[in-house]
Amino acid sequence: MYWLTSEQLELLIKKLGEEYKIFGPRHDRVSGEVIFDHLTDLSELDLQAAIPYNPPKFILFPHLEEILKYRYEPETKQARIEQLNLLEPKALIGLRSCDLTGLLCLDRFFLGQEFVDEFYLAHRKKLFIISNTCLRPFPQCFCVCTDSGPAAKEGFDLDLTLAGRGYLVEAGSKKGQALIDEFKLPEAGPEASVLKKKIIDDSVSSFDRWALENKAWISRATNRLTTGFIKPEVWEYIGNQCFECGACSFVCPTCSCFNIEEANQESGETNRLRTWDSCSFEGYTKMAGDNNPRKPVEDRRNKRFFCKLSYSQSKKYLRPGCVGCGRCARVCPGDIGLPNVVTYIRREITGEAGE
Amino acid sequence: MDKNLVPITSVPEVATIVDIRDEINEVKSFYFTFDRPEIEQAFKIRSGQFIMCTVFKEGEFAVSLPFSPENDPKHLSVRRVGKVTAGLHQLEPGDKIGVRGPFGNGFPFEEIKGKNIIYVAGGIGLIPLRSSIVHVLQHRQDFGRVILVYGAKSSKELMYKESVKEWQATENFETHFTIDRSEPGWSGEVGFVNQLTAKLDLPEEETVAFVCGPPVMFNAVIKELKLKGIKEQNIYSTLERHMKCGIGKCQHCAIGRTLVCVDGPVYTYKQIRTLGEQI
Repeated sequence: MYWLTSEQLELLIKKLGEEYKIFGPRHDRVSGEVIFDHLTDLSELDLQAAIPYNPPKFILFPHLEEILKYRYEPETKQARIEQLNLLEPKALIGLRSCDLTGLLCLDRFFLGQEFVDEFYLAHRKKLFIISNTCLRPFPQCFCVCTDSGPAAKEGFDLDLTLAGRGYLVEAGSKKGQALIDEFKLPEAGPEASVLKKKIIDDSVSSFDRWALENKAWISRATNRLTTGFIKPEVWEYIGNQCFECGACSFVCPTCSCFNIEEANQESGETNRLRTWDSCSFEGYTKMAGDNNPRKPVEDRRNKRFFCKLSYSQSKKYLRPGCVGCGRCARVCPGDIGLPNVVTYIRREITGEAGE
Repeated sequence: MDKNLVPITSVPEVATIVDIRDEINEVKSFYFTFDRPEIEQAFKIRSGQFIMCTVFKEGEFAVSLPFSPENDPKHLSVRRVGKVTAGLHQLEPGDKIGVRGPFGNGFPFEEIKGKNIIYVAGGIGLIPLRSSIVHVLQHRQDFGRVILVYGAKSSKELMYKESVKEWQATENFETHFTIDRSEPGWSGEVGFVNQLTAKLDLPEEETVAFVCGPPVMFNAVIKELKLKGIKEQNIYSTLERHMKCGIGKCQHCAIGRTLVCVDGPVYTYKQIRTLGEQI
């Protein structure tokens, strides 16, 4: 472990900016909300800002992306397909451990299954990640229940922990170590690991009581979802609360369903677009000829929680699909974010009355 | 996965439609060849697999493959049912399409050698089964009894009339046809496929069944096959779903814990029953 001052960090990020496009948390100029965004002005980066309202998945999996371009001329019967170059070096600064875990889930899903998603791979190839330990949880957080925080364990190039006036830095890759060496950062003796552990312990112990209470129930919910022993009434209740807006999927660091559409341009070219999609939408499973195997909303709704918590899905991510960022709970107009769903499942198991 | 079958995953390969044949009302077969000779040479399929077919400027759709992996011209049989298939139906010989694939697991072939095979199809459910039927007949000596039970609403709605004529003349291939209501000049059975299945003398032991058709027919046929003593794990079917990618990423085709594009589209009835979702 090494020590890094704020001034050195600034220089280090500037240095990264020479090679990478820099992304990080900043305050939106109009709303004041914290967003994870491309930083055109590095002074806007705020590592102490609250958890951003959007996860960084859009950097690797844009909400709307042109994946192919072609021109087809019916008269001459000529088809010319052009593959696009999506490779662009990007540095993600100040990633919270939940979001980093989400990114690792996406890696395992897009790159580690039967097929490799070539478009995701192009975005992923040149990425530099600097994670940032959360000194205390934000009101929505429950990463301690999903084993994804408050500090990063893997997947980073550099990991920062604010300790007093400086940062404790750890390298997670050769790229990260090279940067530490280049800046000749001073080593932070054996007491540094003790200090870092204390900082993380303090953070864990300041989690809201409800988050700690849910801890055991995430695994029980996983068990119930996997074995299918949840009564249809529970899904009906949850389904009735769903507005089918898809917001939960869009703010989720691990939701990655997409749609593909052709967009014909006036120039005669056609763009093949990949856009975010959500399993809560009615058209999600609708086939040509209007045959739809999933009709009722609860039928679709339980699919999302199945995807987040069931064992079969966890095998794809090598962990639960939920990273405890709490964003779904924050945006859901129907109050059926994942923590609440876990609560409903708990009530069903224990037979306790609702509020 | 078979190492020889490297599917086209991301960028469609351009193919030319060389022939179009009318099959039944709203269903046409499109014969195609790849523009690049190396792809034309390398493109290999298993029965029961599917491709993602691009109709330029309209979109892409998943479609099962009706041709045998060996010595059978490449074609698709497609019903006009939505925007993209309507676009396909407007194409003429010489027009181009895009192809990604082949994807999916496919029907068993090596594993069922020596066994009796029963094909049961309803309407255009014969399309995905045709590949397996032709392939099995090409290796007829490797199998036991081979039986086809095929039904449609009317004689006009029977698919692949040319192939059917050939099959009827094939020795060692028991074919049974039925239509919903009697028609002048019809010499086959009248009634639903499941009723015809019930009447037949089918081998119980060492028998596999391949069933494809609309869900109502499917469930009724399964019931009959089970009554005949055929085991759930020996009944195969192929499922269809809304698909966008074909490679297990878009998740549109999820049924319970499986994805039809990579884990299917061929499932045994035993699997279908435990997917945790209606089919």
